[in-house]
Amino acid sequence: MKGVIRDKKAFLVFLLPCLLFYLFSVFYPIEESIRLSFMKWGGLGAKKFVGFQNYIKLFQDKVFYTAFFNNLIYLAIVVCMQVLIGLLFAVLLTYIRRGATLIKTLYYVPCIITTVAVTQMFRSMYAVQPEGIINQVLKAFGLGRFATSWLTNTKTVLACVSIPEGWRYSGLYMVIFYAALISVDPEICEAARVDGANAWQTLFRVKIPMIKEVLLLVLTMALTGALRGFDIPYILTNGGPGNVSELMSTYMYKKAFGSNQFGYGSAIAVFIIVESMLVVAILNRIFTSKDEIEEKKSLRRTRRSKARS
Amino acid sequence: MRKKLISAALALTFAMSALTAGNVTAYADDGDVTTVTWYASRPVDGAIDKTMREIAQQYSDEHDGKWKMEVITEADRPSYLSKLRTLVAGGNMPDIIDIDATPYCQELVDAGLLVDVKKFLQDENLYDSYQPTALKYQEFTNGTMYTLPLEYHVEMIWYNKKIFADNNLEVPKTMDEWLDVCAKLKDAGITPIAVDGVDRWPVLRYLAFMPFRESGNDYIINLSEGKASMGDDIGKKAIDFMQKIGPYFQDGFGATDYATAQAMFLDGQAAMYYIGDWEIAAMQDEYQNGDIGYFYLPTYDGAKTAANEFCVNSGIGMAFNSETFDDKTKDFIKYVIANYGKLYAEKDQMSPIKTELSTDHEYSDLYKSVYNDMNNTGENFLKPWDCYLDSNSCQVMEDNLLLLAAGDQGPDEFINLVDSAIADYTNQ
Repeated sequence: MKGVIRDKKAFLVFLLPCLLFYLFSVFYPIEESIRLSFMKWGGLGAKKFVGFQNYIKLFQDKVFYTAFFNNLIYLAIVVCMQVLIGLLFAVLLTYIRRGATLIKTLYYVPCIITTVAVTQMFRSMYAVQPEGIINQVLKAFGLGRFATSWLTNTKTVLACVSIPEGWRYSGLYMVIFYAALISVDPEICEAARVDGANAWQTLFRVKIPMIKEVLLLVLTMALTGALRGFDIPYILTNGGPGNVSELMSTYMYKKAFGSNQFGYGSAIAVFIIVESMLVVAILNRIFTSKDEIEEKKSLRRTRRSKARS
Repeated sequence: MRKKLISAALALTFAMSALTAGNVTAYADDGDVTTVTWYASRPVDGAIDKTMREIAQQYSDEHDGKWKMEVITEADRPSYLSKLRTLVAGGNMPDIIDIDATPYCQELVDAGLLVDVKKFLQDENLYDSYQPTALKYQEFTNGTMYTLPLEYHVEMIWYNKKIFADNNLEVPKTMDEWLDVCAKLKDAGITPIAVDGVDRWPVLRYLAFMPFRESGNDYIINLSEGKASMGDDIGKKAIDFMQKIGPYFQDGFGATDYATAQAMFLDGQAAMYYIGDWEIAAMQDEYQNGDIGYFYLPTYDGAKTAANEFCVNSGIGMAFNSETFDDKTKDFIKYVIANYGKLYAEKDQMSPIKTELSTDHEYSDLYKSVYNDMNNTGENFLKPWDCYLDSNSCQVMEDNLLLLAAGDQGPDEFINLVDSAIADYTNQ
């Protein structure tokens, strides 16, 4: 038995099922999307190769630009809510001695509620007829002039479809941040205090830099999640009214599966993939400090010189 | 030992991948039990669903259980259609599907995937057993027919009699009177019309009213084929009407769903509500108490279509996969046609198959009233625009219609968007 595990070929065999599954479920669809994005296909009959036509059309499509800029606003709202609220609550939670677990669980609950339920809840909250809680509260405080139909008002709808997503996952990020914060060695904080740092300084100069890796992970998750944002906006407004709350993913879905333009839809999908990869690359770059870059470079240099010798 | 282990692992892996790659076929001949799959878009436990299941059970019993119908239902139409398209694109079209005579359906016909239902009915001498309008509704503009109707409806405007009486309002006969009634109601602080904007199609009906009165279905046929523009006279009249009636819909109608809109009307929070007779069960009590009544689409002097002509439809049709439409399925369909009318009508529904009202079931006044109306409709009928437009143009139109009706978009932009979407399709 020992021999099998030592054998490098055996690794391959054990890896194979996972690798095949990965290739089949992740790599193959991406490859197909890329291939389809150069085709014109209505779902029936032969696919017609059209070169870059879908991409040319993409960059001339007004709705696509609307969706792109909407997506940026959506991204800003969702990521800010998730990361800031998550971090704030996690920090507050570290000061609580009793009931932290209960609070953690309660704040985590929205993550496990199904999307449709979350959507229905927000739909009723935003509603005018029967009057939703937001308008009721506004009226109760004498702010009735601000009451509106949140989901059909072209000025409010985009923010309204972003908030549920931000609200929903802030609990998840809170749990991640909390776990990271409590794992920071208390002796370091103690040392900072001895050196005269106040609570704010300890938090911003010591604790948060110590959990930088986790912050990067959370930002990556939140950003790519927001770029792919689909379900809540789709169910709440389906991109409407008009295309006012259209996101790239809802537009992609509409084009591919609503309008039968699989080629064009795939071109949008490819754009989303490239965009997500770019964002992650930029994020990585920002979070890698100069020292680390130098470190990596020198490591590479030593490896190269070792290889040469 | 080592080699054996590796080869066993390899064999297992290949077996697994072969399994996942296997094709799923809808039509199964499991031993001697034939299973036919119907991918349906009808409300679960609705009258059609129940009637079909009853008939399938009856048929199965008569064939010693050697015949089975499996119904997979997706009542939500937009998601039904996108799933259907995905199934077809993947080469897995079920044996029986639900589809309207849309351009997409024409594509399926052109690809040879659907059975010619008109020919089938004529060959089996069953064509005349249907209400002529019910079949005409299922036809493409070229007169061919590939879908079988299971329902038959008229659409009307329901109104709250008490609100009308309190405000001294008469049932409107003309379009202008209708707008007038709305204006008076709004002035009195009452929501004139409740409409379901989430599903889009109820709003699209309002756009279709004026063109139907002006030209029957000619305008939409020309528009969908790129021979007319949304900016033509008729199109502009439609837009103008939409802009006039839009402000009378409830606040935030774009986010109101079907059930809420209907509840608003039934609760007396809105004075009028446009829906078809498929909702007569919901309207029954209030109608019987004299709280609500209904009227049909108003008209005006010089309209091309008559007052007894409005939206009559036989709903989404049933279509058959030409590859799996064998003698067994044919026999079942004939059995359905023979038994459907009576069973369906007994559920207080209007049957597309000519049926005498049976004496062993008591029909309500409302049912009888609508039944009579249906037998007295004119030759023309408003066919919903979503049946004519290709899916992309329809989506563009429906999306932007909400903005137009709410006053958030001007006519010019609407005309532009619709025209260019249609041009995109027709230039292909």
